[in-house]
Formats: sequence, structure tokens, C-alpha cells
Amino acid sequence: MSQTDRVEHLFRHEYGKLVALLLRRFGVQHLDAIEDAVQWAMAQALDFWCRDSIPDAPSAWLYRVAYRHLISEFRTTQRRNSLITEHLSTLASEVIELEEASFAGEMSDSMLRMMFITGSDAIPIESQLVFTLKSLCGFSIREIALRLFITEANVYKRFSRAKAQLKTQTLELDMLSNDQMLARLPSVHRVLYLLFTEGYLSSHNDTAIRRDLCEEAIRLTSLLAASNVGDVPAGYALLALMHFHLARISTRQDEFGSLLLLEQQDRHKWNKQQITLAMTFLAQSANGDIISRYHVEASIAAEHCLSPSFSQTPWEKIVASYELLHNIAPSALHRLNQAIATAEWKGPEAGLAVLKSTDFPEWLGRSYHWYTVYSDLLLRSGEITLGRKYADLAIATAPTDSIKRLLSKRLLER
Amino acid sequence: MKNNTYMCLLRSSTGECEQPSASEMELQYAKYQAWQQKFADNILDMGNKLGSAGSVVRQESASDGPYIELKEIIGGYMMLTAATLDEAITVIKESPMVANQGTSIEIREICTP
Repeated sequence: MSQTDRVEHLFRHEYGKLVALLLRRFGVQHLDAIEDAVQWAMAQALDFWCRDSIPDAPSAWLYRVAYRHLISEFRTTQRRNSLITEHLSTLASEVIELEEASFAGEMSDSMLRMMFITGSDAIPIESQLVFTLKSLCGFSIREIALRLFITEANVYKRFSRAKAQLKTQTLELDMLSNDQMLARLPSVHRVLYLLFTEGYLSSHNDTAIRRDLCEEAIRLTSLLAASNVGDVPAGYALLALMHFHLARISTRQDEFGSLLLLEQQDRHKWNKQQITLAMTFLAQSANGDIISRYHVEASIAAEHCLSPSFSQTPWEKIVASYELLHNIAPSALHRLNQAIATAEWKGPEAGLAVLKSTDFPEWLGRSYHWYTVYSDLLLRSGEITLGRKYADLAIATAPTDSIKRLLSKRLLER
Repeated sequence: MKNNTYMCLLRSSTGECEQPSASEMELQYAKYQAWQQKFADNILDMGNKLGSAGSVVRQESASDGPYIELKEIIGGYMMLTAATLDEAITVIKESPMVANQGTSIEIREICTP
């Protein structure tokens, strides 16, 4: 393995592990000092590893450097803190005795606990997402702003909110009982799901940037599923869902960066290995009595991935799945998807009937998603004038140029 | 052709800049790797960092600090081998270090009699 291979994502992945491990040891109240120390250790690594070579145990190297830096920071800034005396005595022996094997285990364990600590009800979900990206995935405020399409000030606000809330929680990471962790599992899954969809559905032109988020989500979800608490059917369903989607990601754009609809995607280019992997996780998720939204979403994604062509898609199954999804997790967005699938199955008039039987909330009823579907179904059932009117609305409200282009191609050039 | 040896001195201004994130450092490291591989034959020694404490000794007195100018310090050195100064300049120009804001690199041939 070359040096570069060994290091690919090493900084980013180690960042979260080290922050988690040190937080567990010193407490959430020292979050700022801990993040500084880890960052400092990485700057040292960048410098030394470039001049020399990567040490055999880079994680332990980074940990040692960060730990020492943190201790010396504590020494200079918080002399009276009893924490130091407590930790200083063990410092020398501890650092030397680090064994890579048990160390690695403790690291991933700390990562998991971190995910659960942030999964508190008291922290808004969007703040949880930002906190996860910053402290566990090693992204800067600027990079998060870029990836989530929000301003840096907004990212900072969300991050501070999570941090402030975390500091008020006096409970230590080790004090979360298994039951508490289980209770927070849905919230942890939700953040991972959001992390993935932010990457997958974003209209960002840069595929690499979108892939980043998807891969981070898969990495953390895999870690979670491999743990005692996270070894539940919904976790595997979530993993299956992510892999099914990621298998198609490279075909969602043409060579000019324009978005392609499912119908136009080259199915031969879908990643078959990844689909197989997704099927394995889906099989693992078929366990127990509880069917989660991730189960249903994964099964919809599976139907698409397994269908040899757009026209052979089993639309009746997909319509039924959206019905089920809507019952488990009611959302007008699911109804909208159901309308699309119904139109493919029984024709545009049937799709329109689904739309008409549903009360769409304002946020969706005025979005380009809704305008697009409505316009498409109207045009296909021959209501040209009204259809055109909604096509114009759809294009006007679309957030990016590539989506505007896609819509005018689909709706107006028919 | 006989190659010359060049010493490169890395100067950086001491302005405060925002700490790079882990993912930015990861990119930086990849760039270093690529550069080192590309010019493996030219890079004799990646050198070392130089400490910030030091002194300048002149006939009259010793003055504090290794400062060339108030705001610029020599942060490190490295050794290159190249046929000409131009070649050495090419190697340095492509290095990721040059891309760092506020960094300048001085290249000097080491003369051997």
C-alpha cells in the first residue's frame, strides 16, 4: 500500500475518533480545548509526516501528540482545576502503554457514544447534523456551509447551539445506559439519514462534494450497525437504502453536469457490487416485528435498482410501498411520490386523482417539486394550458440552473 | 551533467490565519505526496523546521530573534538537487508550500569549490 492510500481520509476519520476519545476522557465541557488539541496534533502530523514518513501507528501518534498538547494547555490555563492532577499522574504510564488493538476498539466505541450524546432531544436536529459534521467528520464551518447550502454564520449558530446544550448536560459519556442509548437510536439514525440525503439529493454541481457526505454517512452508519446498540433491523435497512442510492449516483448527471431523470439513466453503469451489498443489508434488515421507514424506503430503492428497464419497473409495488411509508411516517412528500408512481402504473389521470385527494401543506404546495409533478401530469393528460402555467411556475421556483434546464427540457420540449 | 545542490529557505509571515480543518489538511497532505513523488529525484532532504527562538550575532552586538524583518520568519529549510537554478525554481514553484498564503521560498545554490 502506498503512503497516499494509507492516508486517504486518515485526517478526517481520525479527527472524529480523537475528539470523541478525548471528550470521553475529559468531558464535554472541554470541547473547545479538545478540538484545538486535535487540530494542533494534525498540523504537527502534516509537517512531520511530509518530511519523514507516516508512523506505523498513526492513530496512536496523533493521540499522543493531542493528549500532551491538551495536558499542557490545561496546565497553563487551568492550574486550579483538579482534573489536571487527576490526569497528570496517569499521563506518563498511559501514553506509553497504549496498545494499538485495544486502542482502536476504544476509539470506535467513543465515536459511537459521541453520536448518542448529540442525539439528545434537547438539541434541534439541524444542530445535531452540523455538530456531527464538525466534530465527528472533521469539516470546517466553511466546508459545512458549502455542503448544506447555508451561510457560515448559520452553521456557526447551529454549532454553538449544540455545543451550549451539550455543556449543560452534566452526564458523562460513559454514563449513558444501554437503555438510554436505545432510546436515542432513532434520533441517531435520523441524523445519519439526513447526512446522506443532504449529500445525495443536493443539487450541488460538484459530485465529489456530494459524495463526501454520502460516504461519511455510510461510514458512521456501518460503525453503528456493527455495535451492540446499533445492531437492529432499522440500522441495516438504513445501510441498504444508502448503498442502493449510492450505486446510482454517478449516473444521475450527464457528461455536461446536467441532471438526468431515472428514465434516462444508463442502468448498465449502476454499480452492481454496491447493489449486491445493499441486498445483503436488506436481507439482514428483514428481522423482527418492527418495520421502519428505512425498510420501506430501501425496498423502493431496491425495486428501482433491480428493474432491468424503466418501463419494467413494478409500479404497483412502489405505489403500495409509498402508501405504507405514508402510514409509518406521514409526509405530503410521500404522497407526491405516490402520485408519480401511480401515474406510471395507471396513467396520468390516476396520478392527478392522488394529488387531488391530498391536502398539501404550503411549503410543498409552493415548491418546484409540487409544481413540476402537477404540471407533468396535466400535460400528459392533455390539459395543455393549465399544464404550461404550472411548468412556468416550476421553472421559476427551481433553485439551480441545472434543475431549471432539466425542467424546461422535460416540461416544455415535449 | 553535474547537478548542483540548492538550499531552500521557507519564509512565512506571522499573520494570524484560520486553522485548516481535518479535511483541508487531508487535501494538503495529498498534494505534498503528489509533489514529492513527482520530484523525488530532485528532493535531497525535506529538511526540518527551524525553531522560532534564535539570535543574530553581529560585530557590535547580538540582537534578539532570527527575524529578517519584523513580520517574517524563516520557518524551515530543505535541500534540492537540480541541474540549474531554473530547474530548482520549477520544483519549488509546483510545491504546495508556495500556495500557502504569506509564504515565500528563497533558493540559493550551495557552492562547492
